[in-house]
Amino acid sequence: MGCSSSFPDRNAGRLASLNSESSTAPESKNLRVKLVLLGDSGVGKSCIVIRFVRGQFDPTSQVTVGASFLSQTLALQDSTTVKFEIWDTAGQERYASLAPLYYRGAAVAVVVYDITSPDTFKKAQYWVKELQKHATPGIIMALVGNKADLHENRAVSSEDALEYADNNGMFFIETSAKTADNINNLFEEIAKRLP
Amino acid sequence: MDPDDVVADPNPHQSDSTPGAAPSQLAQMRSLTLEVSNDAAGAEQPAGNRSLPADFYETADEIEVTEKGSRLAGGLAGSASRGEPEDWRERSELDGEVLPSPSSSGYAGERGSIGGSNGIEGEADDGGPSLPDDWGRGKRHLDEDDASISWRNRKKHFFILSHSGKPIYSRYGDEHKLAGFSATLQAIISFVENGGDCIKFVRAGNHQVIFLVKGPIYLVCISCTEEPYEALKRQLELIYSQLLLILTKSVDRCFEKNPKFDMTPLLSGTDEVFSSLCHAFSWNPATFLHAYTCLPLAYSTRQAASAILQDVADSGVLFALLMCKHKVVSLSGAQKASLHPDDMLLLANFVISTESFRTSESFSPMCLPRYNPMVFLYVYIHFLDVDTYLMLLSTSSDSFYHLKDCRIHIETVLVKSNVLSEVQRSLLHSGLHVEDLPVDFSLRSGSLPHHLAMEKAIPDISSSHVGVGGPSGLWHFIYKSVNLDQYVSSEFSSPLSGSTRRKRLIRAYQKLYFSMHDKRTGPHKTQFRRDEDYVLLCWITQDFELYAAFDPLAEKAIAIKTCNRVCQWVRDVENEIFLFGAAPFSCPYPFLRGAVLSDLLRMKGFVLHYHILISDHCTK
Ligand SMILES: Nc1nc2c(ncn2[C@@H]2O[C@H](COP(=O)(O)OP(=O)(O)OP(=O)(O)O)[C@@H](O)[C@H]2O)c(=O)[nH]1
Ligand SMILES: [Mg+2]
Repeated sequence: MGCSSSFPDRNAGRLASLNSESSTAPESKNLRVKLVLLGDSGVGKSCIVIRFVRGQFDPTSQVTVGASFLSQTLALQDSTTVKFEIWDTAGQERYASLAPLYYRGAAVAVVVYDITSPDTFKKAQYWVKELQKHATPGIIMALVGNKADLHENRAVSSEDALEYADNNGMFFIETSAKTADNINNLFEEIAKRLP
Repeated sequence: MDPDDVVADPNPHQSDSTPGAAPSQLAQMRSLTLEVSNDAAGAEQPAGNRSLPADFYETADEIEVTEKGSRLAGGLAGSASRGEPEDWRERSELDGEVLPSPSSSGYAGERGSIGGSNGIEGEADDGGPSLPDDWGRGKRHLDEDDASISWRNRKKHFFILSHSGKPIYSRYGDEHKLAGFSATLQAIISFVENGGDCIKFVRAGNHQVIFLVKGPIYLVCISCTEEPYEALKRQLELIYSQLLLILTKSVDRCFEKNPKFDMTPLLSGTDEVFSSLCHAFSWNPATFLHAYTCLPLAYSTRQAASAILQDVADSGVLFALLMCKHKVVSLSGAQKASLHPDDMLLLANFVISTESFRTSESFSPMCLPRYNPMVFLYVYIHFLDVDTYLMLLSTSSDSFYHLKDCRIHIETVLVKSNVLSEVQRSLLHSGLHVEDLPVDFSLRSGSLPHHLAMEKAIPDISSSHVGVGGPSGLWHFIYKSVNLDQYVSSEFSSPLSGSTRRKRLIRAYQKLYFSMHDKRTGPHKTQFRRDEDYVLLCWITQDFELYAAFDPLAEKAIAIKTCNRVCQWVRDVENEIFLFGAAPFSCPYPFLRGAVLSDLLRMKGFVLHYHILISDHCTK
């Protein structure tokens, strides 16, 4: 938590999907990116964010209500920094109709499912369709199969997921918020795909 | 269950209690001694200024109650006809709130075990640091259903079901397993409805069953706690409002489209919210007082908080609320908008019982049923520390970044002006302690020492409670300012330590509240009630309501005098315990009623127009 911004700065520009802030040196770039996580309740969206932002894993993670807002800055090799402003949305059904509130204007959408639950993979496909219809054109979409540490209970094959992702112009990765596997990769890969 | 007695248009108090049942409230009332006396039991009119409870010496509206079992001679004669030793008091503490069924993992888990090993709610937390709102969370006893003994032994059940009989929520047990039971409840309701009536109340043995029909949604309470019908109905109303806060009333439309609509998925993940509300019914007086309470703070500290919140409210935020646990630090509303105390209660309950709000800043739709039950407001929530949280409400779903900036601004100011550290200090050290009740007001000079700001040693909790409250034996009080929609409750003194005793007192106050506001017997001004547990004294005027509990041996005349002193004390420290300047919800022109108050405000240099922000949404 606690990315601070100066108070008077509250113009509409902040809502734009992607801002290049004026940089001190011409070779370094500071990007600010609005990212939204979508997916069924319990797939591990909050855990992924908390792992990325705080480096922690809380196995007793509680259901999200509405949406949580967190941010984290990632420094890339080429001295570019990307500040992710992350909307961790609630997967509960009653909030489904409010999702546009959070993905509107997002530059990146991360759609998460749980590799042990085919239902959540179906739900992920629902979100992909909704994003294709209503999100900002050109939005970068990632498909994330979480809980990869539970591979002995796998119920969604990587091949199926990869195929689905390819067909929909998405980037695909399997992660584990528990072991931290691929969590940073996920965000680095996203950063690479930014315009 | 076999209802012995179905009352279709019930006046529950008139329903005959079945043999063996504890008498309903009115049955007890019948055994009251109604004393009409002009000398008010010999109390002298205290000398002094505003503290004069002139009403106390009026006889017309006074009821004096001596409960059976009183240790005093007068009381013993009371109503010995019933064989039971005491009905006011709960006989068994086998209350679901604390009886963990062995196989249930929920109870002891999340917050550490409070109840001790025996599981009976008890005195395990006596004098301990645990606060009421931290009591058991997450106990749902999902393994139970209506066939289990433990489920049947719960003292108070709450159910929500749809008009087609589909379970929506059950306080105990998994609602899906209670489908048959739900259908039975639905059958009872529709049986009466088919006769053109609306069922409100059934007495079955020592259980009361209370029904509340809200369109396609039915709420039912089954209780053997002997709380008055009005109190349980009010609790059902609050549960319904909590549901609206989560979903708005537009959920009704789902039932229009599909009468068999299953609502449970819409509420999934909210068990904690409802169980914490059910729990609040036994510790939080705001659930029946229609008022909120403030965290005691130095006047200037609260002013600093109010000023910055008002700034924000002027910038397009509908409501700005700064709270610490369930107490208000300060609040402000945009022009013409005011918050109903019930909405504040439900909002605070929702935020406190939702763990995810503590993780990071959040933005969530919520509905304030008293403000507008049909629409969502958009709420920005941020915990400034473990206990203190800021809520900024807006009508606009696009307002997040603006609200976030407002929060950053507010937080900066609060930190700079030390408000947050003062809040933490107050949480630990302040509050009205009956032991501090000033003794003699004739000696006081203009300014009083700061009772509240003073750091206090924790009072010695000895086994004997002699001396608490001085010779008058004052144990506890609640003072509600009618004009402000606010109340202040004293800290619990040693005779009232332990959750069981506190809960019993809160229930006693609740009963007192409803008997004082009973529309049928007319509103009363004073009530004096004595039973085995306490002497209870209630005094209601246009401006305030006072509820006080004394040692059961306390003398009436002294108790009355003490109440005067309490009122005086509260007025002396009102700057620190109440929030001035927030628009009250219920009273359109408070200052026409509260002449004294407006004088006070003027003395404090308040600009009056600032306070007369009136709601368009007055429902009272
Ligand atoms: N084994 C394993 N468990 C995980 C992993 N990520 C999350 N979990 C567990 O899954 C549960 C739900 O995780 P959350 O992050 O709260 O789920 P969510 O997607 O945010 O759910 P909502 O907020 O309701 O939408 C938690 O109990 C976690 O312990 C993971 O990578 N591996
Ligand atoms: Mg979550």
